[in-house]
Amino acid sequence: MTAARILMLAAIAAVLALGSVWQPFDPEAIDIAAALAPPGSRHWLGTDHLGRDILSRILVGGWRTLTVLAAVAALSFALGAVIGTSAALIGGGVAELLMRFAEFLAVLPSLVVALVITAIIGFTPATAGLALAIGHAGPFALMAYGLARRTVAEPYIEAARLLHIGRPRLVLRHILPNCWPTLAAYVAADLGRNVVGYAGLAFLGLGGAISSPDWGSMLYEYRSHLFDAPSLMLWPGAAIAVTATVLNLTLDPTVADTDDTA
Amino acid sequence: MTRSRSRLIVTAAAIGRRLMILVGASLVAFAVLHAMPGDPVETELLAWGLPRSDEGVAFLRREWGLDRSWLAQYGLWLDRLVSGDWGRSIRTGRSLLDEFGDALPISLVMGCGGLLIGLVMALPLGFFAAQRPGGVIDQVTRSLSVISQSVPLFCLALAAIWLFAAELRLIRPFTGPAFERLLLPTLLIALYAVPRFSRVYRRELLLAINSPYCKFALAKGLSPRAVLWRHAHPVASAAMLAAVVSECGWVIGGTATAEVVFSLPGVSLFVVQSVGVRDYFVLQFYIVIMAAWMLAIGQAADAARAWLDPRTAP
Repeated sequence: MTAARILMLAAIAAVLALGSVWQPFDPEAIDIAAALAPPGSRHWLGTDHLGRDILSRILVGGWRTLTVLAAVAALSFALGAVIGTSAALIGGGVAELLMRFAEFLAVLPSLVVALVITAIIGFTPATAGLALAIGHAGPFALMAYGLARRTVAEPYIEAARLLHIGRPRLVLRHILPNCWPTLAAYVAADLGRNVVGYAGLAFLGLGGAISSPDWGSMLYEYRSHLFDAPSLMLWPGAAIAVTATVLNLTLDPTVADTDDTA
Repeated sequence: MTRSRSRLIVTAAAIGRRLMILVGASLVAFAVLHAMPGDPVETELLAWGLPRSDEGVAFLRREWGLDRSWLAQYGLWLDRLVSGDWGRSIRTGRSLLDEFGDALPISLVMGCGGLLIGLVMALPLGFFAAQRPGGVIDQVTRSLSVISQSVPLFCLALAAIWLFAAELRLIRPFTGPAFERLLLPTLLIALYAVPRFSRVYRRELLLAINSPYCKFALAKGLSPRAVLWRHAHPVASAAMLAAVVSECGWVIGGTATAEVVFSLPGVSLFVVQSVGVRDYFVLQFYIVIMAAWMLAIGQAADAARAWLDPRTAP
């Protein structure tokens, strides 16, 4: 990873995290008198149709997006690593069954998962993260299985087993550290697409909270002003596009598809 | 004779396996409703604004078979599913079978039409990108690929409505006839399909051109373009078809945000709105329809693969 990439990544992460500690205004504060104000010294990015400060809403939306990304990464890692490594350790019919389950998770449409989860426990950044993570856990478990099975065959694992080290400890101390770099890179590569995925779920307004300050739901709410105030859509749209593009280009080596076989 | 018979057996086994998965999906769909918070009887009474009485609740529970065992309820539900007695939508009061019957074609026309247009556009783009790696067309499809993975469809859709409807006034996406309303979403879905298909096609063409049989054809004096088309294309198109088919499986659901932006009454919009008013029966049938569609596509994919590449046929 080059210095420029690390710098871009750090900048995006800083902006996303900023929303948790600072917003110039209350993102929900309605000020009809100042509705649809253009960008200026008071409201840097202007205000929306209810006079809410757009910059504040973008910043909160960024923090919510970051929460989702963290939830997806943690949950898909946990779920995938547990399924994959236990399949590799146990082997046999159980492994076969677990891998079938992982394949099933991989083809499960995330919209259906999100709808079901929303219906049962409601829609928050954390549950949206869960909905996105379940789909990602499938291919992730298959990959973890492949990596862990190779590690399990190593002599030092055999030695650890002869020392009667329990399975949980075996996985945590001896198998996962070996697979960790590859698995982490895999989780990171998907972060950009998760920004897009979360924006889509928020745009669909799952859970009915259509006025939540998410980039996706901002676009949903502002789209009725497409004809009279199209500039409202510029900032949330740009926030999604820029964040996803930066994450995709810095973390996913396959996105630019430059691996020329020719 | 034996070959065609063995192929028949394998096909029958694949269909049987898929039917079993379908039964599994119906079980999941059924279980989903049971996991829902709230009592369906209470929801129904609330939806119709009826006063709650113990007799009324007991009557509805008996009427809907809610007093019976879990398995009996599943059997009852399965029977209704197969006989087409799907009940009514709480939101619109219309029969769910009619609702899905009206909504499905809209989503399918939009989704499959978009993929088809995408495929037609991806073929020449992928071909020329493979012919000159690093050339203009290669760069264009590569940028499209990055954009399609970073900018959500609904963002571009809003921009397209703004440009073509609000500024240029070329199209009426909300008030025009059916064709005019479907045009923009279909083209947008195609735009997102193009890089996916053309990049796979290009990659497979480049893989094939470096293989010994293509090198031989080149050495024989054929032009690179002729080798690409006559020798690499058949292999690459089979690989691209696999990508097309896997995209087809996602059509139901994949058009969700497009349906919302263009307020087209497709399946996903109907389901999202129904879940919004806690009509979870709709979600059940949606899961079954989606599973049936994905499995049917999988079966079609097997057939297409066997036809395109006889080596993979049983």
